[in-house]
Amino acid sequence: MAETQTRLMDRMFQRIMHGLVDTGRPPHYAELAPGLGLGVEEGRRLLHAVMSAYPIGWLHPETDYIASFPPLNGLPTQYRVTVRGEQKWFAQCGFEATSVTWLFPGQTVRIDAPCLDCGESVTIQMRDGRLVDVDPPGVVGHLNYGFGPSRGRPAFL
Amino acid sequence: MNLFRSEEHARRWPQFNVASETVGFISLTDLAGFFGTETRRHMLDADYLSAWFPRRADERREYVTRIGKGIPFWLGTPDT
Repeated sequence: MAETQTRLMDRMFQRIMHGLVDTGRPPHYAELAPGLGLGVEEGRRLLHAVMSAYPIGWLHPETDYIASFPPLNGLPTQYRVTVRGEQKWFAQCGFEATSVTWLFPGQTVRIDAPCLDCGESVTIQMRDGRLVDVDPPGVVGHLNYGFGPSRGRPAFL
Repeated sequence: MNLFRSEEHARRWPQFNVASETVGFISLTDLAGFFGTETRRHMLDADYLSAWFPRRADERREYVTRIGKGIPFWLGTPDT
């Protein structure tokens, strides 16, 4: 039974991740349930189990909607992701943006964001984990509050 | 967890936390390594959630320690 639950959670996780990669948006549990051989309510419960096991993502508060499923985000952020000339993805944050490359093997992944200080552009391009272009060259990552729930501030700030 | 045009731009950000002044910056190369460790390369695998994701925390700790950031701020451990 436990093994079946683990396998189902893996399968739902993969459908969410691949759905995001394919369409730029996270699927709803009611869309996922039939393909997993589940009823709609079973699908909803399984979604909550998946999100509990993947706590770096989250549902929109008080809903069953996937807001964030890193490295990508269902809710738009300032980190726009372009692949093959198509911009239909958002990264969860500036740090996760550097991980999106692993979802598009063999492709150049471009991240565009406005700098939160001046609004001017920050652009990085990566391919199979390698940085292939950075504009401006001085782009840096910044962690404002440190990792860990004890700091009491949203990690994405 | 943001990208800025430079450290100076980050410091001018109205929400900049002064406690991050000396510890909060990471080069883009180190960042790409941090978010490109082994488990990250398996996010599309069928068993990612059960087999790979659980290894992520140890991997991250090892990486930040290796790049000289093995402190609570980056490790996610309580300040002591």
